This record gives sequence, C-alpha cells and structure tokens, in this order.
Amino acid sequence: MQKNQRIILYIFILIAGASWIVLSANTTNAATGKISAPQAGFAAPDFTLKTPDGEEFTLSELKGNAVLVNLWATWCPPCRAEMPAIEKMYQEYKDQGFVVLAVDMTYQDDPANVVPFIQKYGLTFPVLLEETGDVAALYQLRSLPSSFFINRAGVIQEVVIGGPMSEALLRTRIEEILK
Amino acid sequence: MLTLFRNLFSPPRHMILLFIAAWIGLTFAEKRTERCGVSKDDLNNLTFYSLIAFVIGGRLSFVFQNMPAFTKSPFGIISINPDIFDPLGALAAAILVAFIYGQRRGLLLWNTLDALTPFFAILGIGIGLSHLAAGTAFGKETDLVWGIDLWNSTRHPTQIYETLASLLIFGLVWSQKQNQRPGILFLTYAALTAASQIFIQAFRGDSTLIFNGLRQEQVIAWIALAIIFILFETRLKEKP
Repeated sequence: MQKNQRIILYIFILIAGASWIVLSANTTNAATGKISAPQAGFAAPDFTLKTPDGEEFTLSELKGNAVLVNLWATWCPPCRAEMPAIEKMYQEYKDQGFVVLAVDMTYQDDPANVVPFIQKYGLTFPVLLEETGDVAALYQLRSLPSSFFINRAGVIQEVVIGGPMSEALLRTRIEEILK
Repeated sequence: MLTLFRNLFSPPRHMILLFIAAWIGLTFAEKRTERCGVSKDDLNNLTFYSLIAFVIGGRLSFVFQNMPAFTKSPFGIISINPDIFDPLGALAAAILVAFIYGQRRGLLLWNTLDALTPFFAILGIGIGLSHLAAGTAFGKETDLVWGIDLWNSTRHPTQIYETLASLLIFGLVWSQKQNQRPGILFLTYAALTAASQIFIQAFRGDSTLIFNGLRQEQVIAWIALAIIFILFETRLKEKP
C-alpha cells in the first residue's frame, strides 16, 4: 500500500472512530447508583437483620453514615483474623459516622459460637445473624469474608473479597467512604 | 455454563486466569522470539523481572499513595491481601524494569516488542475472562437476546466481547508469518486493540464520563490509535 493510501486509511479510521465515540456517548448514565447490586458503583442491597440480643438493624436507615458490611462466619480463619483490625478501626472512626455491620452467616455457622466469639474479640459494633441465606443471596456471596464499603449516599464504593484485611487497607477504604 | 464459570473463578480466584494467560502467552511468545532477534533466555528473563516489578511496584505505589494509613500501620505493607495494589503503578514499574533490562542486555526496542506481542495478545484474552469471572468491566443494560444476567439486570456481555476481540487479535497477529520491519507486528496488535476498545467501550455500563457523556476510555483509545498510526509511518520510513 502506498503512503498516500495509508494516510487516507488512517484518516478514515480516525474519523469513523471519532464518530462512533460521539454517537455512543452516554447522555443518561443511569447504569448504576440507583440499581441495587453487590458491586462498586451500585446502591447497596437493603436488608434488615437482628443481633443475638434481638436488636434490629436496617441498612437503608443508616444512610448518611459510612458503612462497612462485613459478611463472615466464626469457622472462617481470615474472618477471625481481620476482626481485631475492624474493631480497632471502628473505635477510631465511629465518631465520624463510620458504622460496621458484621453479618454472621448463621445459616452455615453454629449459632452457639457467635456470642462467645463477640465476647472473645471484644466486638462493640453490631453483629447480625443471617439465618435464612437471603442476605447472602442478595450479596451474591461466593467467598468469606466479603466486605462492602458503602458511602454516605448508600452506594457501594469498594468491595474486598477475601481477607484478612489489614488495618492499613481498612483505613484507606474507610477514609474514602467517609468523604 | 456462565454461572459455573463465574463460581469457579469468583474473586479472588479470577486472578488464576491472568496467571494462566501469562504462562500460555509466554509459551507462544517463546516459539517466535528467535525470529524477532531476541533470545528465549532474554525473553524469559525480561518477562520474569517485569512480573516481579509489577507485583512489587503495584504494592509500593499503593503504599506511597496512602502513606498516612501505612505510617500508622506499617505491617500492612506486607499483608497478603491483593487489594493493596495500584495497577497503574504496577505497570509503570514493570515497564521501567523491562526498559532497564533491555538497556543492559542491549535489546532492540521494536524487536523486543514484536517478540512480546503474542504474550500481550493472550494476556488480553486472560483479562477479558477474568473480568467475566469477577463481573467487572460490565456492560450497560440491554434487551438483546445475548445479554447476560449480571448485577440484577440483563447486560451487554462486554467481557465476552472483550475476550472474543482479544482472541481475534491474537489470531491475526499469530497468522503474520513474515515480520516485514521491526515494530510492525507490535503496532498492528496495538492498533487493533485500540480500535476494539473504541468499539467495545460503547457498550460498557461503568464508563468514566467526560464532557457531554463521552467515555474517557474511548477518547484515550482514540488518541492512542492516532499515535500508533504516526509510529507506523515512522517505522515504515526506515529501511528493513
């Protein structure tokens, strides 16, 4: 191919590309934010669960706070390993509007282990019991632990699958959702 | 089938797909590397050092960007959690190390890039599959029959488009029997990849929007394509 022919081809491709970019511009961008799904950029799926004491927590009622939803189980080693760091961060940031909802997968856990676990680790944030598997399905749970960092508008900003999360990682994520 | 695949390689296991792709890519690259004037040893060492730099650089870049958090908890730097990672920093570190290795070994830039082209092309397939497994790089909503159920909507299977485009690009670059001039094979791959991104990004549901809804990723790919065309001409000007 001659140089002139190549240049004409380049110009044609670039014009076609630019036209496609303009034609495919997203003027609505209603893709995320309003739809609830367990993925960054989407509204956090809502749920209501109880603590072992019977106190009820609804995620949507916490709008305005930065929330960490941590899905865990007592038999899961990385879940156990990251709990002290979560507790420490909770103490450090709770006055700024940081809330932790630690959702125990009670339907695949031994419920009798939950309260001793809370006492052993000295957890002061709400630990909720997931007895039906509905929240696990809502959050499309595949691995434990799974952590969803939800900003003050109720939108998931970060998802961390697996663990344990270090204090430093928690701190970076929490400071993002507190903004 | 798709559900089975997504369950099998759900995060963080989706990274296995990247490792497999890198391994297969390197195997393919080795087969043609001598033709590009780069020895197998150099290709392997270059890739090995760059991958190490990628991993360490990604971690360090994340740490530097979040220094206050790591100052308070310095042991977090050696945490096994892969989320402590900055992909752009990782890429910059890998390129830097590859450049230094290439300089020390006297490798020619365009020949080396040609030798690595099958590696890049197969890595592209792995990236598409890992996106599919993790549900990231997802498409916008659609009612087309080939839409996939993802994040509570039927969406364009942009991860599958991405994977198929990468497969096609690999097929095209692999079928190039004669490499006319150093750099042409790599630039062909780069141009096809940029063009495919301009096309596929239009169906994404998670684009970063700039100006009047233009997708940032498409604009970057378009600029990259224009630069690639200029490089094509500069390469073709040189005598073989």
